[in-house]
Amino acid sequence: MPQIRCVLGMVGIDPHNKGIRTLARRLRDEGVEVIYVGEHNTPDEMFRVAVDEDAHLVGVSFSTSNYSETIQMLLAARRRQGAEDVQLIVGGLIHPDHEQHLLDLGVAGVFGPGASIADVVALFSRLYPDLELRDGRTAPK
Amino acid sequence: MTRMDDRPEGVEELSMRMSTTRTQSGLETQPTYSPSDLEGFDYGNDLGDPGQYPFTRGSFPMMYRSRMWTLRNIVGYGAPSDTRAGLKRAFESGSAGIDIVWDSPSQGGIDPDHPMAVPDVGTDGCSVACVDHLADLLQDIDVTRTDIAWHVTATIYPMLGALLRRQGKSLADMQGSHMPDYLITNPKGFGERLMPARLAHRMAVDTLEHVAKHTRKWACGFPQTYTARQRGVIAGGELAVGFAIVRKTLDDLVARGVDIDSVAPRLAWVCPADIDLFEDVAKYRALRRMWAKMMVERYGCTDVRSQRLRVACHTDGRALTYQRPLNNLMRATVQSLAAILGGVQSLETCTYDEAISIPTPEARHLAIATQQILIHETGVARVADPLGGSYYVESLTNSVEAKALELLEEIESRGIIEAIQSGWLEEMCDDINDRVDEEMAAGERIMVGVNAFQDTDEDVPARFDFDRTSMTQHLADFADWREKRDIPRLRAALAALKTAAASDVNIIPAMIDAFDADGTVGEVWGTFREGSGYTYDPFGVATSPLADASLAGVTAPGSEGAS
Repeated sequence: MPQIRCVLGMVGIDPHNKGIRTLARRLRDEGVEVIYVGEHNTPDEMFRVAVDEDAHLVGVSFSTSNYSETIQMLLAARRRQGAEDVQLIVGGLIHPDHEQHLLDLGVAGVFGPGASIADVVALFSRLYPDLELRDGRTAPK
Repeated sequence: MTRMDDRPEGVEELSMRMSTTRTQSGLETQPTYSPSDLEGFDYGNDLGDPGQYPFTRGSFPMMYRSRMWTLRNIVGYGAPSDTRAGLKRAFESGSAGIDIVWDSPSQGGIDPDHPMAVPDVGTDGCSVACVDHLADLLQDIDVTRTDIAWHVTATIYPMLGALLRRQGKSLADMQGSHMPDYLITNPKGFGERLMPARLAHRMAVDTLEHVAKHTRKWACGFPQTYTARQRGVIAGGELAVGFAIVRKTLDDLVARGVDIDSVAPRLAWVCPADIDLFEDVAKYRALRRMWAKMMVERYGCTDVRSQRLRVACHTDGRALTYQRPLNNLMRATVQSLAAILGGVQSLETCTYDEAISIPTPEARHLAIATQQILIHETGVARVADPLGGSYYVESLTNSVEAKALELLEEIESRGIIEAIQSGWLEEMCDDINDRVDEEMAAGERIMVGVNAFQDTDEDVPARFDFDRTSMTQHLADFADWREKRDIPRLRAALAALKTAAASDVNIIPAMIDAFDADGTVGEVWGTFREGSGYTYDPFGVATSPLADASLAGVTAPGSEGAS
């Protein structure tokens, strides 16, 4: 069975990378194959890597407040890169009031303050029930 | 049954259990301390009186009786006019010192109209892209008379120099301070892409050399270990990173023939005050002792002002939680107390809502009141180094110093530039963050409201928002302004800057010229990057005015046939 592959990184100038770097390590511990592409990517770079690496998801973290605009840029880049089958998940300092709006735009998961690694892994296994985590482990249902 | 509460049988009461006996940085502690923990202790050599070498007990004999710490406040959001309004409010509410912070694009040398910058413009600081913006921001402020502290922003120093030139004032009268620790912005998340380590280091050395020779009233917050702490290192680790940066920078200044006694008196160490009260007090004490000994033993400084370190402190935002934000008032109060008991010279107290958004006016008022209450009601500032002589605090001071020296040696065995460039330092921070994460998961480290004592019925916290229509106007004005510039003059200044970047002359004069010629932060920093062998734009999107044929009214080679 193929494994869950996730591209993680940050876009634009936002330098607050502690959270996503910790997430990358935790998800690896959980058996997700993580491709961490670092900070300061363009939206197109994120999805280009996803296509090249045959990833299932792209995850981006935000610590500045105007993330809605950047998320729309990411969704546009996804179309440009022909990567509509790649799911976009977002996290960081995302305000609960904005969550539904982001889901309506087409984001697959929003992980704001207080979200846990288990929440992320649970979404992965819901989105990709036929995929498995590395080492033959399956995600908790 | 003698239990006094109504807990169900078998449920451990978390509130009554000590979560750890180790300090925040991981030092093990004993149940109690006694003279036997201070073997070989020598008051004169290890401490000295306050104001006496090695300044462990404080930099000044009378400490807060002779000079109260400066109550600082941080301002910066939106367009220059938005921040100007914030400055006015901060001065009115009793803040003696103002820190102005630029937004991430401006800090990173990226223009506000860059496609990757537009969403972030003005969201986490003030958007300042050219001298005209700076003039607008400082409309009511004379920089030869007011002490504004600017955060870590590589271009503020030359940009202010250009503003003074336009105002017909002398560089020698330029007042205020900034934080030229550009190197630390690489591991903070700017990375090699936005702030290459080698470039950052040269900019710092050039800036400090220029400060030593030309702006005698200018002060520098250097090093800036606040950011290193935010990224992961704690207490002794923070000192190790700071000393590695200071020693590399001062060594290079010595190699250029700069007298360290002409630089060191103008430096203040910028660091966080964190929540582990005694460890943080120990940190400031160890820091002053290590600094004094370095200045005498390594650099042969004779000026007492070089030896006695001033510390500028900002309470640590990392200890603040998004959950139950009012709890952060208690955290910021203890952090502020740590700074005062540690003898700092200036203090910014975080607002309780910093984990949510930039501060609301109410939160800002409470941050100022926190310090006013500490000064006027608690009496904690009455006596210098009130914890000096405590067996525990003296022992902890020694332990923090030993830890710092150990890690400093490890960093210097690689070289600080290489340690940053290679990502080694960031990996080390990731390891520490991982350990903290694991300890929190295991309940060995408790953050109230985060991994224990959570509320299930929590309200969504309020957040500050400002009217973004001012940003639309700011961007439109910037586009108009770009069109009106004297392009041949700008290109000449940028060409000279590029040549200077490629040589080993001090870069600051060429940057002042380029800003005076209406260069933008993106153009000035991009040209410096390009002349130093990096790409003009870290995102590969913007092009240099030097390469843009349409600006010169000439046809660039290879563009024949283009419309």
